[in-house]
Amino acid sequence: MSTAATPTLSDASAADSTRGRGGGRRKSKSAPTGIIDRQRRKLLIPLVGPAFIFYTVLFIIPSIWAIWISLHDWAGLGPMKFVGLRNYTLIAQDPLFQQSFLNTLKLLFIVGVVIFVVAFALSLVLRDMWGKSAVRSIIFFPHLVNALVYGALAGFIFNPNGLVNKILLVFGVEAPPLWLKSDNIFPIIMATLVLTMTGYYTTILMAGVDRIPPSLFEDCALAGANAWQRLRYVILPLTWDIFGTCAVLWTITSVKIFEVVWLFGGGAAGGAPPLETWTVAVFTYVTAFGGKTIPAYGQATAAAIISLLLVLVLVVLLRRLMRREALEF
Amino acid sequence: MTDTTLTPPPADAPVRIRRRRGSPAERGDRSVVRSIGIIIVWISVIIGVLLLAWIFIQSLRDTRSILGNPFGLPESLHWENYVEAWTSGEFGIAAWNSFTVTIISSVLTVVVAAPAAYFLGRVKTPLTEGLIFYFILGLGIPAQVILIPLFIMLNQFYLTDSLLGLNIVYIGVSMPFTVFLLVGFFRSLPEEVEEAAALDGASPWGTMWRIAMPLAKGGILTAFILQVISHWNETLLAITLLQTAEKYTLPVALIAFIQKQTYSGADWGGEFAGICLIVLPMLALYLFVGTKLSAGLTVGIGK
Repeated sequence: MSTAATPTLSDASAADSTRGRGGGRRKSKSAPTGIIDRQRRKLLIPLVGPAFIFYTVLFIIPSIWAIWISLHDWAGLGPMKFVGLRNYTLIAQDPLFQQSFLNTLKLLFIVGVVIFVVAFALSLVLRDMWGKSAVRSIIFFPHLVNALVYGALAGFIFNPNGLVNKILLVFGVEAPPLWLKSDNIFPIIMATLVLTMTGYYTTILMAGVDRIPPSLFEDCALAGANAWQRLRYVILPLTWDIFGTCAVLWTITSVKIFEVVWLFGGGAAGGAPPLETWTVAVFTYVTAFGGKTIPAYGQATAAAIISLLLVLVLVVLLRRLMRREALEF
Repeated sequence: MTDTTLTPPPADAPVRIRRRRGSPAERGDRSVVRSIGIIIVWISVIIGVLLLAWIFIQSLRDTRSILGNPFGLPESLHWENYVEAWTSGEFGIAAWNSFTVTIISSVLTVVVAAPAAYFLGRVKTPLTEGLIFYFILGLGIPAQVILIPLFIMLNQFYLTDSLLGLNIVYIGVSMPFTVFLLVGFFRSLPEEVEEAAALDGASPWGTMWRIAMPLAKGGILTAFILQVISHWNETLLAITLLQTAEKYTLPVALIAFIQKQTYSGADWGGEFAGICLIVLPMLALYLFVGTKLSAGLTVGIGK
């Protein structure tokens, strides 16, 4: 899962070592730099120590402990009862978890594919459009806004007296659908995510399309390549690695989607959003801290661990799938 | 958009626009699909900007007139929505909490992560490669995994419902991304200056503080701003760890405010004011740092 970022890092170090081989690397074996290196190595603990401790104590230990908790029956207070994998089989049979998991998969795959197609199309359109940088800045902005806001706004835009119905009235629609009926909310959430997330991925893809030297496009034109051939033989191969990174990013982002769901349509009285819209993250939070029933920490963490496994499997698969020779250009 | 044509600019405007695109060889391909795409892009961009303006306008109107006419402009500026939200909605104290937590945790995140990233980026041994991998591992762990263990751990040290606890948690969970980003950044800097400093007798410690860190100012600032954005907007950990209204950060306060409305009736003016308190600082920050930010976010990716 980690590997999210490794491609670029290893690329960086690979590029580094090739550059180094020319002179730097050999030089670093020579006396003065060797001493610098040796002296610097003594700073391992003071320099890396604090970061290591913060990260280990607040991130890695809780993660490992989460696996342990998921194997127990535990309400927070009182003794933990070891139950093996029973929490996992329990939630697997729980229709509510099935629903949440399905919703997370929908976000991951359906919303993911739509975002990618739109973002890629946008990055092609924007490549040499007038006002490119202005558009790029504007479509990036939604990424900086807490998704809670979109949920809260949707409550206003889609409520019976809200914006959408007012607009529909102008067009003579007297009986608009009940937008915020619990069945309808999730599709609207998916649409909202597409609208708000596409800009971010477009920006990333554009950074990739931008590095393609213009001379290649000129070549294409001179060789009489049509738009499709240019896409197939120039743009796609040269942005392939960025696609892989984006896919990993989206995988990681989508399994922890919580905010946009939590308040969508204005928030429910009891605190939790309608059951039809739950994601795995919402399931984990409500099962542990919902306050209605005795907290079931074991089942809640089991659900979280399943989402972790989902990330793990998908990232490994993606790395397999996207693996190609890096093209130099 | 670079003008590579050698022909003199023609007199009439439409042709000039046509000429400006790309090289002469590319001039031929302009399709209907593309034009439609461009139109759609501009329409959606304009709608987006209008929506943002609309939110701000609504925050200055009273609830009844918002419901009466969602498109209307305010007859008079109802700044009292902000006053109201600031006091009774507890957005005031939440804004302060959010501000302090965001700044403190972001500064400390960078202070802790930058030296580690410097070491890991500069010293190449199997150990440092392993450590980098160890840090990156955290990028793939969804926040909900650590939610419950963190809550229990902090509870034992009386750090739940405490902004100190939240600060510490934010520093911990920000390590993977910040270290990853800065390792990449330090590796992109030339090492020669540091070698020269060392040859002039600077200690490794001095080289780092006086040479490497100032050189890396841009990258460190980017890392800081990215942390500001993520800590300002963080919701799941805050809603789990904070329980009393005086400790709420803005996202938690907004949730509480909206949930209260389901009992006390809608207060759209106040809600829009709360939304603006969350969105406008980000807008201001974005306008201030500009596109450097998106460049920062795509740094390791679009190398």
